[in-house]
Amino acid sequence: MRKYFKNIYLGFSTIWIGMMITLKHLLFYKNITIQYPEQRLQLPERERNRLYVNIDDCIGCDQCVRACPVNCIKIETIKAVPGDKVGKTGETSAGKKKALFVPKFTIDFAKCCYCELCVFPCPTVCIYMTDVFEFSEFQRNDLVYDFTDLTKEQAEEKRKKAEEWALEMQKKKEAAAKKPPEKKVPLKPETNDKNKSDESPDSKSDDKPSKDS
Amino acid sequence: MSLYDGIFYAFAIITVVSAFIVVLSKNIIYSAVSLFITLFGVAGFFVLLHADFIAVTQIMIYIGGILVLLIFGVMLTTKITDVKLKTKNINALTSAIFVIGITAVLIFIMLTTNWKVAEVVKYDETIDKIGVLLLTDYLLPFEIASIILLIALIGAAMYARKSK
Amino acid sequence: MEQFLIDTFGDNILTYIIMPVPVLIFLSLFALGAVLAERKVSAYMQDRYGPNRVGKGILQTLADMIKLFQKEDITPAKADKLLYNLAPFIVFTATFMGYAVIPFCSLYIGADLNIGIFYFLAITSLSIVGILIAGWASNNKYSLFGAMRAVAQIISYEIPTALAILIVVMIAGTLSMQEIVELQGGGILNWFIFGGPGGATKYILLPFLFAAFMVLYISTLAETNRTPFDIPEAESELVAGFHTEYSGMKFAMFFFAEYGQMFAVSAIVATLFLGGWQSPFGELIPVLNTPVAQIIWFILKGCIFVFVQMWLRWTLPRLRVDQLMILCWKYLIPVSFINLFAVGLYIVL
Repeated sequence: MRKYFKNIYLGFSTIWIGMMITLKHLLFYKNITIQYPEQRLQLPERERNRLYVNIDDCIGCDQCVRACPVNCIKIETIKAVPGDKVGKTGETSAGKKKALFVPKFTIDFAKCCYCELCVFPCPTVCIYMTDVFEFSEFQRNDLVYDFTDLTKEQAEEKRKKAEEWALEMQKKKEAAAKKPPEKKVPLKPETNDKNKSDESPDSKSDDKPSKDS
Repeated sequence: MSLYDGIFYAFAIITVVSAFIVVLSKNIIYSAVSLFITLFGVAGFFVLLHADFIAVTQIMIYIGGILVLLIFGVMLTTKITDVKLKTKNINALTSAIFVIGITAVLIFIMLTTNWKVAEVVKYDETIDKIGVLLLTDYLLPFEIASIILLIALIGAAMYARKSK
Repeated sequence: MEQFLIDTFGDNILTYIIMPVPVLIFLSLFALGAVLAERKVSAYMQDRYGPNRVGKGILQTLADMIKLFQKEDITPAKADKLLYNLAPFIVFTATFMGYAVIPFCSLYIGADLNIGIFYFLAITSLSIVGILIAGWASNNKYSLFGAMRAVAQIISYEIPTALAILIVVMIAGTLSMQEIVELQGGGILNWFIFGGPGGATKYILLPFLFAAFMVLYISTLAETNRTPFDIPEAESELVAGFHTEYSGMKFAMFFFAEYGQMFAVSAIVATLFLGGWQSPFGELIPVLNTPVAQIIWFILKGCIFVFVQMWLRWTLPRLRVDQLMILCWKYLIPVSFINLFAVGLYIVL
């Protein structure tokens, strides 16, 4: 019998305590919801969001493409003809000479996994993470961003120029090859060696996946 | 035809039609729901007869109690809803003869009787009288009924208890 | 009100069609307001803001309503089409019929029956049939379980409800709602929670009447399937109980009926124990006793109880089935019987 009344008392008293807590929250506590579009949290220092490419600094070295684990970056390059400036000044902001036009530099953010691996190898720090994280689109194709500063016509023009110049150089080479001056022989292997050493990391990286597979 | 006549006929049609469905329906749930409408229609008749207490009691006990218990029981026994009820006619000829005979007699009586139409009386509240009568003149039946119900309740509880 | 309508339109069917329209309008507005209030109350209790976009949040329920109107009306392929479509109407009609005996002010009551409160008890049991049909016709196990639980719960809690109401009826000596309210005129101390009209000896009844008030409030809470008694629609186990399969307007009907029931039971509690439309100041301030003020008093009292329902909902967890039954049979019913006995003894002596 005593337990019975104790139960009733406990029931009412605990409900009363609970109701007072909710009432306190109803009347006095501050709402902690963040009203998102108007009110934003400060993002952390090293957040990884949408990439940006400062094309003025890009030298078209292709390092980011090789680093990307999901192959979402695509680059095309055209050799610059001597005397033709790449970009406005022909140099990066750090004063490095640019030798390649970049008519195509696309990043597909539908594929991008925001790993930031492309940022570290960049020799001119032209590809980096921004704090933009709202870039949803209705079409998947709209998520492919192109960062180039060349229009299609310009790119076509540069390509033609490069091809012509390449042809010219070919002819010169052939002409040079027809009458081989013995003096220049020691020079050639040197250049060849240089090319080889340049290509060697490429060939290695090409070999790796084939070994894996 | 006054408003009350209209209401009476509406209730009459509802009651009779749903009562037919109760008997003829092949689905037991349909029968139960039609019974709900029938009982509701009967409650309507009680209201028209100024027996408001009985009308509400009808709703309370028959619909709120018995009918719900009925549907509840039907639903708890899962298999029963699939059973096709037998609503076929057997012995059609004999039953037809009987029905026609009885109907003829009833119609004959209805037409030949000299019906007395009573004056419309303004009825008093019934509830006070019912209460007083139940606790004075009819106290014994009232108490016996309640004791029978109590016995049924205790018996049901005994059966529902798991024997140890 | 009834007399006025009979004078203008004559004693025909038009009068009786117009009569319940104000209640229907009130009910729609109340449902809109209560849904918003519920969301806001729950939000602020959890330190959130709640809806605050559509018209600063005020038009949110209206927008939801428009959305529900536009929604596709889906009937499950394996459902029983006829009963499935019938059920929401039975539930709503039963709820709305209950409003017939609720006195909004001294001039407006749907029908001042001399069995008013008994009628209300009987009519609320009609909605049980609707719930059962809805649960069965959906042909869904969650719906059926929800319906079963709802019915078992409502039938069990009808007993303490009736016993608690009986105490007031015994003191008042009438079943008519309007007469019960009129008896409580003349100030806050004449309300039935303080013993009703009478001499100083009535204060002996105070603890019993307060207990009866609590019993009635708790059991009406259970009859409307509100938390903590919401096992019929327990979201975490039964999806949504008996209206799992319903969508669009039919779902809105169930929703509407639920909020209608919330106000109806609150109004009944207010009428029986807190003087219905009576002003708490009695005759001291006559302005507060005009019919318009009476309506405001009545709705205010009802809304306070509705608020307490919401408050409880966002405070307490859900009861288990056995706890629910223990509360009803071991606590509410014995307490009601003791109350009944004590009040009966007082009246006889």
